[in-house]
Amino acid sequence: MSTPIASRQLILDRIRAATQNQRQGAPVHAGLSRNYIRRGTLGAEDRLRLMIERLREYDAEVVECAPDEVPATIAAQLALSGRRVFVAPVGLPAEWLAAGFDWKLDRNLAITEIEQAQGVVTKAFCGVADSGTIVLHHAEGEGRRVLTLLPDWHLCILNASQVVETLPEYFDRSPLPPNLATYISGPSATADIEMTRIKGVHGPRFLNVILVRDES
Amino acid sequence: MSEAFTPHPILDPRLAPPFPTAALHVLRNPQLRKNVSHATDVIQTKRARLVAEKTDWQQLRTAAAAIRNQVLENLAGYLEEFEARCTAAGGTVHWASDAAEARAIILDLLHQEHASEVIKIKTMTSAEIQLNPALEAAGIRAYETDLAEIILQLGDEEPSHIVVPALHLNRSQVREIFARTMGLESLTDDPKALTAAARNYLRQKFLTIPTAISGANFLIAQTGSMAVVESEGNGRMCLTLPRALITLAGIEKVLPRFADLEVMLQLLARSATGERMSPYTSLWTGVTPGDGPERFHVVLLDNGRSSILSRPTERQTLRCIRCAACLNTCPVYRQTGGHAYGSVYPGPIGAILTPQLMHMEYAQSLPFASSLCGACYEVCPVKIDIPKVLLELRSQVVNQERVQAARFGDPMFIGMKAASTVFASARRFRTAQWLGRIALRVFTGKDGWIHSLPGLGAKWTQTRDLRGLPDQSFRRWWAARGKGER
Repeated sequence: MSTPIASRQLILDRIRAATQNQRQGAPVHAGLSRNYIRRGTLGAEDRLRLMIERLREYDAEVVECAPDEVPATIAAQLALSGRRVFVAPVGLPAEWLAAGFDWKLDRNLAITEIEQAQGVVTKAFCGVADSGTIVLHHAEGEGRRVLTLLPDWHLCILNASQVVETLPEYFDRSPLPPNLATYISGPSATADIEMTRIKGVHGPRFLNVILVRDES
Repeated sequence: MSEAFTPHPILDPRLAPPFPTAALHVLRNPQLRKNVSHATDVIQTKRARLVAEKTDWQQLRTAAAAIRNQVLENLAGYLEEFEARCTAAGGTVHWASDAAEARAIILDLLHQEHASEVIKIKTMTSAEIQLNPALEAAGIRAYETDLAEIILQLGDEEPSHIVVPALHLNRSQVREIFARTMGLESLTDDPKALTAAARNYLRQKFLTIPTAISGANFLIAQTGSMAVVESEGNGRMCLTLPRALITLAGIEKVLPRFADLEVMLQLLARSATGERMSPYTSLWTGVTPGDGPERFHVVLLDNGRSSILSRPTERQTLRCIRCAACLNTCPVYRQTGGHAYGSVYPGPIGAILTPQLMHMEYAQSLPFASSLCGACYEVCPVKIDIPKVLLELRSQVVNQERVQAARFGDPMFIGMKAASTVFASARRFRTAQWLGRIALRVFTGKDGWIHSLPGLGAKWTQTRDLRGLPDQSFRRWWAARGKGER
């Protein structure tokens, strides 16, 4: 067997010979055909309606509220869930942590503590209406990845101004690529047995979204 | 270094029987055929509906093909860019020229981690290099975590599809496997109960096993990031919870920029599972302190890919993003399922990819396992002209056989030689027709059909009838036409 360094050189040499391209480093990204749809055509109301419709197709619960109603709406959703123990990222506004529930703020929580929580509340980076996708960049307020993975119930607070219609519009909003990202399109699911869709394999089984109408 | 492990007998192209032999076995299994056609019907229907709602589907395909072409034309540069970014972000990049080297690198990394167990996300590349048998031989227990892969692993079954690898099994077969291997005798065959059993079986493993192995759907050169697309959340578990993560990826998996995902992600889930997006897409870049594994390794696998790159017609094979739409639509795959292909890559894409990965030394029957109907090309999200590549590979296989056949006096070779001599001269052709008419008359029934031929001809008449030759040839009829005959 060859040494690691030799294998690297061997593979790169093989590729350069095969492509007859001796250029070092990456080429300029230009001249590609990109005439697919970038921008959506829906008005603001229709865009939000599409987002809600798609989320509900995934069996996600969606409620809408005004910006000043967020704390009360969160409290109501938590109460409706019948759950008591919740984890939350430290970046969440203090007034969102409704009284009467057991909150564990993620100051380096152990995995087992997160696993034992019954739900999680986070913000989001963006929503894509076309596919009903919630985008997390795992910034403050969105939590580290494990936070939205182990608890069975996820409540996500999404602002109307964060909702775009098409996937390319999301990429236009992220000129600086994130180090970490998770795109969630409905709850964890499988169709591995006879193509029968079953909700909730390993990720959260319940996705809840509060859509905050922050646009006039 | 020496390796001792037993390779997959069914899906190792070096050991598997040729396609027609393997297919015969499957065609006699009505349960399997029913399972395969049910699953492929369901996916195809969902795919068709979601593709139809995308008015820019063809533009997306064209863009995707262009992006993938750009990657392949500049592959060395993009890989170097990826390596630099990934390394800067705290990842370690390894290069494996073939399957044996990839296995050795991974085993070495696992030894450094003192790993006796690993959790795995479904990855085609791992199956390609037969990693699991190698791990087993090294005393490392691998836990597959994708539901279908658990079914296969526990049931000692082989995958038969790229995206839904256990589609050849129905619910009662899955129930039997789970009940037997998990000790759950009262388990019902409700898919919900079966899924819950898998969830319970794995939960503790996710939380306690500190080493994971994954594949990747895409590598991003611009950022050094990786992307994994999945449905169940088992992928997120493996990518997030362990202390060390090893990702195995083919060298062709690179995309130039982060934003190129806007094309690929719109095409992938729609083509693969008939969804607008798969439930989870995970992106990570090297190591992020406080979030996810502390050690991250990427193993870049060549294993025959660079030789595919050097051939102009075949290069497009490497555009593939493993959506398996070509399998679901293929009239051959839909009848035979995946095992007949004797490769972890079945269906039309497997028929072109496998023999090439084997440097055309094995799996030469696969380019012929197609009716050339072109359905695979039509659904391919990156516009791989599979029929064109199939034809190119067929001609290579025939050229190989020509050399061997001449040596061994193969009857088909002699027949072809004879035919080419006969067809080269009009006089010889007329004589042959005349002789043939006399010879075949004996076998032609009263209905004008030949039902049974002796010797080599029996190979044809075993499964179909042959029309007898007419009393006169077209040329004789044409020549006689002016002389008052009709």
